[in-house]
Amino acid sequence: MLVQLSGIGKVWPIARTGEQVVALDSITLDVTPGEFLILLGPSGCGKSTLLQIVAGLEQPSRGEIRFPARQGTNKLTSMVFQEYALFPWRTAIQNVVFGPEVRGVPRAEREATAARLIELVKLRGFESRYPHELSGGMRQRVALARALANDPALLLFDEPLAALDAQTRRVLQEELIRIWAETGKTFVYVTHSLEEAVLLGTRIVLMTARPGRIKRLIEVTLERPRRLTRRADAELLETLDALLRDEVKQAMGAEA
Amino acid sequence: MSLSLLRKTASSLFILVVWQILVQTGNINELFLPAPLSVLRAMWAMTVSGTLPWAVLVSLNRLAQGFVYGSLAGVVLGLLAGAIGWIEDVLDPWIAAVYPIPKSALFPLFLLWFGLGDSSKIVTIAVGVLFLVLVNTITGVKAINPLLIKAAVDLGASRLQVFVKVILPGALPNIFTGLRLGAGMALILVFITEIEATKAGLGFLLWESFQLLETKNVFAGVVTFGILGVLTTWLLQWIERRACPWAQR
Repeated sequence: MLVQLSGIGKVWPIARTGEQVVALDSITLDVTPGEFLILLGPSGCGKSTLLQIVAGLEQPSRGEIRFPARQGTNKLTSMVFQEYALFPWRTAIQNVVFGPEVRGVPRAEREATAARLIELVKLRGFESRYPHELSGGMRQRVALARALANDPALLLFDEPLAALDAQTRRVLQEELIRIWAETGKTFVYVTHSLEEAVLLGTRIVLMTARPGRIKRLIEVTLERPRRLTRRADAELLETLDALLRDEVKQAMGAEA
Repeated sequence: MSLSLLRKTASSLFILVVWQILVQTGNINELFLPAPLSVLRAMWAMTVSGTLPWAVLVSLNRLAQGFVYGSLAGVVLGLLAGAIGWIEDVLDPWIAAVYPIPKSALFPLFLLWFGLGDSSKIVTIAVGVLFLVLVNTITGVKAINPLLIKAAVDLGASRLQVFVKVILPGALPNIFTGLRLGAGMALILVFITEIEATKAGLGFLLWESFQLLETKNVFAGVVTFGILGVLTTWLLQWIERRACPWAQR
């Protein structure tokens, strides 16, 4: 087991009203090595919060998170954000090298790593561009390479393709599958897109809205490359759609 | 030559020529408005005699020292105040109280405390620069996308590394805004502090020429101040281009 979440809960206090909003309620989940785990749910279901808790960027209000495979204090995870979060004052390659740099990896070694990763995400020739000189898709490739540079066991994605146009998204989805297969890393991927869940995941965690709970765990054994026009793929999409629509309706009902 | 440049050149030449003619034909009294060529001749004479270069050197020394001390203090305090809550709380009332005061109004106090020499002038300039740089640096730190700090922490950066590798470069464009404003302030303050209680400097030269009604020399001082202003702007732009090549406008 790579990560064990048991009874994770997260409560946000709203200072103005003194209310307590339950974002996550008792999430128990194991992440197994090598899987492409999708956290799927309507907006406001706390899936991003869950990802931040796994990343160690947020502390859970309740429950426990364990990394059985961790040796020493080394961090096992790296995050890819929806808004890229690239450092605008660093070129593509300088962004990629950031993690090893702050962790004290010798210069020659970290530069070799960065060069290899630039190759992996197909950005050769764009190393010395600043983020604002790159397209959205290229920026997300840089962010992916930067996350890989620390050689984490686990890559965490927070709706990484949501800000991109449909064409670029398709290309990058294929790239993610390729890189996932090539590197053998474990991916945990937050999305609200049903299509993305069906195209990418080996396992889908369907979450309920407010408070975020696990509604259903779905193993996906469809063959790759997946195509939404194929019958089996389309059926899974239908199933997810029906389940998710229930959730959205309930969430909207609760709001009304 | 582009049309725009042509118009600009024509405009400046036209005014200068008309001005020269009006003075030479006796329509304007040189005591009030000396002709451009007289000003040039005066500048040349003062350069050859060494009075102008010496005045510039004296003023530049005060200017540079005041600017460097003021901006260093402004950047360091600004980064700390922007990044660390309690430091901002400690500084905030003092910034709020001193920022609106024209720094030239503090000059008499500094004269009292630091004497008639260079120190009182340098301190006045430094204080003027400090507050502009400080306020802009704080703004720059606050404007940094919090997601960048999150990403840096996620990649393993320590608090000190976040400070040096994210907060400092992130605030740099605003720091340069503060430095540019500070340079303008420094020029104003070097003139004001050189009017009284000194026997050297460009401000002194200009003011003394005025008291002797040597208007040509007053103009020579004004033009030299203008040149200093342009040169400091260029120098800062040059440094900024090298320091933040990602933020080119």
